[in-house]
Amino acid sequence: MNDMIFTAIVIAVKILVVLAVTLGLGAYLTWYERKFAGHLQARRGPTVVGPFGLLQPLADGLKLMTKAPILPKGIDTKLYYMAIMMALVPAIMLFAVVPFGPSFKIMGHEVKPIVANLNIAILYVFAMGSMAAYGTLFAGWASNSKYAFIGSLRKAALIVSYEVVLGFAALSVILLAGSMNVFDIVDSQIKSGIWYIVYQPISFVLFLFCLLAESGRVPFDIQEAEAELVTGYNVEYGGMKFGIFPLAEWYLNVLALCAIATVLYFGGWSGPHIFGPFSGFIWFLVKTFGLLFFVLWVHWTLPRYQAKDVVEFAWKYLLPISIVNLVATAFFVYFKG
Amino acid sequence: MELLAFVVIGSVAIVSALGAILVKSPIHVMVWFLGFILSIAASFFALKADLLAGLQLVIYAVAIVVFYVLVITTIPWEKIKMFEGFYKKELIFALPAFFLTIGTVLYLVFNAKLSNMRQMLPKDNVSALGTVLFTKYIVPFELASFILLIAMIGAIIFGKEKANG
Repeated sequence: MNDMIFTAIVIAVKILVVLAVTLGLGAYLTWYERKFAGHLQARRGPTVVGPFGLLQPLADGLKLMTKAPILPKGIDTKLYYMAIMMALVPAIMLFAVVPFGPSFKIMGHEVKPIVANLNIAILYVFAMGSMAAYGTLFAGWASNSKYAFIGSLRKAALIVSYEVVLGFAALSVILLAGSMNVFDIVDSQIKSGIWYIVYQPISFVLFLFCLLAESGRVPFDIQEAEAELVTGYNVEYGGMKFGIFPLAEWYLNVLALCAIATVLYFGGWSGPHIFGPFSGFIWFLVKTFGLLFFVLWVHWTLPRYQAKDVVEFAWKYLLPISIVNLVATAFFVYFKG
Repeated sequence: MELLAFVVIGSVAIVSALGAILVKSPIHVMVWFLGFILSIAASFFALKADLLAGLQLVIYAVAIVVFYVLVITTIPWEKIKMFEGFYKKELIFALPAFFLTIGTVLYLVFNAKLSNMRQMLPKDNVSALGTVLFTKYIVPFELASFILLIAMIGAIIFGKEKANG
């Protein structure tokens, strides 16, 4: 009975910590992105609210929440509101399978810093990553606007094609590790001493493409192409109802997928013990934010693909490359492993 | 605890299945259907059949339902005249099937012995299922993939005919 209470408390604490950290981080990533974009374009970014503009996310949140709620004409009200949740929930659920560090001991119990240690964590990531598409899809349909609707259709086409590539790209890492459990994948990298990016550079590049596509970042953000579609699927939303969409898609989704990429290709929390007992956690965060930095860098430097090219690119180039890579990996594992 | 999880998940599944049948707007039907698929995946998780749950999520909840939504949302429903009557002929054929199903399920509930899932399922679902699939059931597995390939080619041919003619 004592064990059960302990487990329940541990799970509750984990969920609370993950929720608080990810939502807080999501808000502050807006500040980070604006600052980053500013310096990239020889501007200074937000500087007015607080030191270095650090209170800007709070001001933005207040502004969004106090806006007058405007509902467009002819919308499907239920779906219009539900789409917001459909975008946010999968993005948060993704963090359930992110391992933030090595397992440690509290009061004689082994605790793993992960909310749900699933055997099929990577499959779950594919599912939740693309489940976010429903938010976009239904938001576009329910707003009864052509711009929004075209945006959501583009997103659906994009998800369906990049999902396949993502699966095949990650499958080659799963083949090498022999497991879909995030802890096993990291452990096998620590044991062999070589990160999987050394074995699987092609698969990593494909994964990066899919990360950008699934989270709607440039160069694949055709669903919200400002020049053609205003902002696409969320054009009819206002106030905090609008604010949730970028939060879920641009920040939470990207952060979670970067964390998973760290697990798959950069050895998770492996690294020299130079930060004392927390070095595993710090290494994990350093790698994740390194990837996030790269994503932002790409976002603010590259132009956007044309809508017709994006899906074609996935099916005609990325998918064959990923399949060839997978078969080659399978041969490698069969004969050498 | 397990019973509680089962009751919650099962009632969500039943309610959303009913919703999928009873709701009028085709898009709302898809939302209810999505809820149903998700609750089935949840019940697989509750039974510790992780792989099945994951496949349910990836294949049904994402790939198939996205296609449904994609097709249904592009149809201009306000221009289509919907059937507003009562399906008489269909009801005559459906009633026997309905009672047969209910009877079978009741028979199974009262007479069949259920296997103990906890003891039968191995800890690592994925490798166990893979081993069985590629040794014991290799022939049915390959046959199924062959049939699916034929179906795909057939669909492409039909699509081409429509596009040309």
